[in-house]
Amino acid sequence: MLAQHLPALQVVIPLLAAPLCALFRRGFIGWLIAVAATWLAFAAAIGLLFRVLNEGVISYAMGGWAPPIGIEYRVDLINVFVLVVVSGVGSVIIPFARTGTAARFNDTDQAWFYAMYLLALTGLLGVTITGDAFNIFVFLEISSLASYVMIAMGRDRRALTAAYQYLIMGTVGATFIVIGIGLLWAMTGTLNLADLAQRIPEINDTRPVLAALAFLTVGISLKLALFPLHLWLPNAYAYAPAVTSAFLAGTATKVAIYLFLRFFYTVFGGGGFFESTPLPEMFLVLSVVAMFAASTVAVFQDDVKRMFAYSSVAQIGLITLGISYVSETGLTGAMTHLFNHAIIKAGIFMLLGGVMFRMASVKLEDMAGIGRKMPFTMAGIVILGLALIGTPGTSGFISKWWIVLAALEKDQWWLVALILLASLITMLYVGRIVEVAYFREPSAKAADVREAPLAMLIPAYVLVIATIYFGLDTQWSVGLAQRAAADLLAGIY
Amino acid sequence: MTDHHETEVPMAAPDEAPRWLDRKANVTKVAWALYIVCAVVILLDFPIHRHADTSFDGNFGFYGAYGFIGSVMLVLVAKNILRRIVKRPEDYYDD
Amino acid sequence: MIEFPPGLLLILGALPVPFLRGPLRGIWMLALPVAAFALLYSLPDGNHFPISAFGQELELLRVDALSRVFGYVFIIAIFLGVIYSLHVRAVEEHVSGLIYAGAAIGAVFVGDLVSLFVYWELTAIASVFLILARRTPEALAASMRYLIIQVGSGVLLLAGLIVRWHETGSIEFGHIGIDGAGGVLILLAFGIKAAFPLLHNWLQDAYPQATPTGTVLLSAFTTKLAIYALARGYAGTEELIWIGVTMTAFPIFFAVIENDLRKVLAYSLNNQLGFMVVGVGIGTELALNGAAAHAFTHIIYKSLLFMSMGAVLHRTGTVLATELGGLYKSMPFTTVFCIIGGASISAFPLFSGFVSKSMILSAAAHEEYYFTWLVLLFASAGVFHHSGIKIPFFAFFAHDSGKRPKEAPLNMLIAMGLASILCIGIGVWPSALYAILPFDVDFRPYTDSHVLAQVQLLFFSALAFTVLIRTGLYPPELRCTNLDTDWLYRRLGRRLLVRITSAAGAVQARFYGALNRRGQRFLLQLYRHHGPQGVLARTWPTGSMVLWVALLLFAYLFLYFLDIF
Repeated sequence: MLAQHLPALQVVIPLLAAPLCALFRRGFIGWLIAVAATWLAFAAAIGLLFRVLNEGVISYAMGGWAPPIGIEYRVDLINVFVLVVVSGVGSVIIPFARTGTAARFNDTDQAWFYAMYLLALTGLLGVTITGDAFNIFVFLEISSLASYVMIAMGRDRRALTAAYQYLIMGTVGATFIVIGIGLLWAMTGTLNLADLAQRIPEINDTRPVLAALAFLTVGISLKLALFPLHLWLPNAYAYAPAVTSAFLAGTATKVAIYLFLRFFYTVFGGGGFFESTPLPEMFLVLSVVAMFAASTVAVFQDDVKRMFAYSSVAQIGLITLGISYVSETGLTGAMTHLFNHAIIKAGIFMLLGGVMFRMASVKLEDMAGIGRKMPFTMAGIVILGLALIGTPGTSGFISKWWIVLAALEKDQWWLVALILLASLITMLYVGRIVEVAYFREPSAKAADVREAPLAMLIPAYVLVIATIYFGLDTQWSVGLAQRAAADLLAGIY
Repeated sequence: MTDHHETEVPMAAPDEAPRWLDRKANVTKVAWALYIVCAVVILLDFPIHRHADTSFDGNFGFYGAYGFIGSVMLVLVAKNILRRIVKRPEDYYDD
Repeated sequence: MIEFPPGLLLILGALPVPFLRGPLRGIWMLALPVAAFALLYSLPDGNHFPISAFGQELELLRVDALSRVFGYVFIIAIFLGVIYSLHVRAVEEHVSGLIYAGAAIGAVFVGDLVSLFVYWELTAIASVFLILARRTPEALAASMRYLIIQVGSGVLLLAGLIVRWHETGSIEFGHIGIDGAGGVLILLAFGIKAAFPLLHNWLQDAYPQATPTGTVLLSAFTTKLAIYALARGYAGTEELIWIGVTMTAFPIFFAVIENDLRKVLAYSLNNQLGFMVVGVGIGTELALNGAAAHAFTHIIYKSLLFMSMGAVLHRTGTVLATELGGLYKSMPFTTVFCIIGGASISAFPLFSGFVSKSMILSAAAHEEYYFTWLVLLFASAGVFHHSGIKIPFFAFFAHDSGKRPKEAPLNMLIAMGLASILCIGIGVWPSALYAILPFDVDFRPYTDSHVLAQVQLLFFSALAFTVLIRTGLYPPELRCTNLDTDWLYRRLGRRLLVRITSAAGAVQARFYGALNRRGQRFLLQLYRHHGPQGVLARTWPTGSMVLWVALLLFAYLFLYFLDIF
């Protein structure tokens, strides 16, 4: 009975929990609700995963209205994979959130913060699970607005500007997406993704459909911060509170990637579009430029959070590079990296949150000598940094391995060289942090800093351990990604 | 390269007794001992028949001559050619 | 019997070191190599530790004769290194030293290229801390250059193994050869670590910058791991002979004019590697035995030499020949140990270098590589010249600097003493070493003619030194920088980079300037009716983003429509 309604529960649990948090107006109670809601959502995602593995695609008619008139929630391997990642990261962050949030905000603000967090999560889960195009837009707006508030709550005044930029760009992106969806609706008369997928092949080369494709491409590229539409991301990640940065880095861009896959593979039909348009080439070029440009910028950042924000742009480039191959191996790599990078980046931003909590700065110069003062925090950052580089034994290596394989399949040796070269640049900025943290005399700020509180360390270490675990056992990450990739290419939905 | 962790290096006391090698005459003795040893080992070519590895190293004094000439060449080439090309001030790279 | 990789034992064993204090830490660190040695001794030949990870079968413990020789000597080296560094308080040096050694030992026993790559990179990353730990600005800069080159070698190895996997479908680490593109890439990766000519300069750049104890460890593992890898993958590749010959010859010229005595040793290390590379290139049983044996003896005497210079550095704060001299008066033991190391590297009969180097020379002569043989002979004389004579002479004798430092700490003396015993022991009783070589040994180093030839060569080389010094022809030691290939990246490369980036920056600035002017004009038009001018100033980053959005939209529209026009 319960299992039957899992698709609805996935979204409804955090959605109902959000106003509850706001109503109670007590930080601790809000936090308890958030913990319960996120972990229940995670459980629902896991439950859905097993259902999909057993039964195949699940179609759930919201409110009993059958599709295409009613809103359909449709769960297949691809989005259940993303659901697990998003709800998983979302639920690990919440236990971490308590210490920092309680120290900075009054009771009401804390409750608001958790409410917004849950709303953002609702939005992201909704985007992922729904089978209805307009519904996607609605959930997208929910998550954008909620994240806007979450960013604006950063301690830096620049957080406001960053949030404003985020809002503008998010709105522009969502508008483009809604224009694209509108065009498709005008042409086909349906908003149901599965229906759209059936009808589009017949009107494949009409101008409105192509225009829709263009609007969707740009809209989604904005959302996933694909170079050169990434400009909103570094500030947003850098000046937001640690919880927000970790959450957004681990989930928001990942959902945008899911959207991209969903539209371009499922709706626009099994990859046929990739042969008739130069989209893959365009994506390939932008991805490679993203990897290099953003990594290089990261090397020269003095604010470590900003450094890792730029690193995110580069890593997203790696994911889209995998997508641009339009091959099973490439998609496997992309989805595996979606999974791995969510864990790595959320972990890094959480650990940096610990640093921020202790010394109110994540400037590189202030972090001098911090390796001895906060050994566990820094060890965690180093391990996750190694994963970003793609060191074997960490999950980062696995994703890179698959994306390199995909390049090899196409005999694109130069790409292999570029990917490896980009890893070297990654090494440079991770190396900079290591050098400063371990081999400099402690800075004035770091002089009497203690290790981050356990309540922050433990959740972060869950992700650190996961990074190593998924570097060794790839059954869940690669195994699922591979099956999802095959489904994507086959156009199964 | 100079490290500073051991800043004070003890220096010789002014009244330190000179050692055997500090006298120039003794150094000359050492040199002469070397000359004699060289003469002896090269003359050993007569009583000991060296089994040759190649067609040319069986000749009398081959190894001695090769070692001497090779070393002189090495030093002179390094000093007069290589050093002229590669020598730069000590702080060359510190800019 | 426990079947566990000895390298992994050291790596895991390094982890608790930071939590141990006082004598317990020393005992633990000494116990690790002992346990690893016992473990390796108890293992029979064969594949003992296969695991499967990310869909590949990995072999972490392939024991055979070749890997065993290198395994033993690596374990001996870390044992000596631990004793030598017992006085060091900085814990990161201990941890990284053990991990570095463990990675090198691990690499020797892997049976596949992927695992090799993992350990290969681990040696690079772990060892860089031995340089960083010196904590001088020069060391920091050198360590970064070192790290980039070392990791670059790993990246080449990864690229090569992927290509090779693509070509052959196998990631086995056996004979590779240079027939395929993968083989060439992997050779290049090995070549960087083995300090092939033109790829060599990281060694002379970084080793003299490490801590006194760090250099001892550095000298033992990285390059010899590369020799092992070459012997495993490229035995009998004739090109290696020429590479090796070049390597034996050119570094000794640099060594003669170098003032930093640890840098002199780094050049001579490069020269010794040349002998081993020649041995691998010849590829006969005798030659490969020679390469392995020479690696074995070399690790020990080179460590000994670096230990003696490390002791000098530790006590006086410098190893510049111009600043030293006369130290024998207050550091007699160190002097004796240094001379023993010098005698070993110069291959004096009864010292360890003699019993291994002569194998390679004999193999060259036997296969009728006469030119090679002559160069190796010249290099032998040359190495005596700068390592056997120059190092002890300028540090401990020469003109008296007046410095009277204390004798080296006890633990350093013990390490040097043990290494000296090994050098002489192997020289006097080579049969024990010969017994563990990869192939059966049918070679007698101590024949009348071998001994006499070597003695003649060395004494006349010493004669040359004496004559040159006494006639004043010997080049005076100077405080100076000698250029090597590092000039390419430390000077030329940097200048180019600066020029390119400033040019690119100018172009970019002009481009963005133009773009922004256009964009602002566009926005100005847009906002003229809508709001106060102030809006513009605040939103220009947003404005430029919107501009990008518009540009991309047009680009996509154009590209998509292109198809149906």
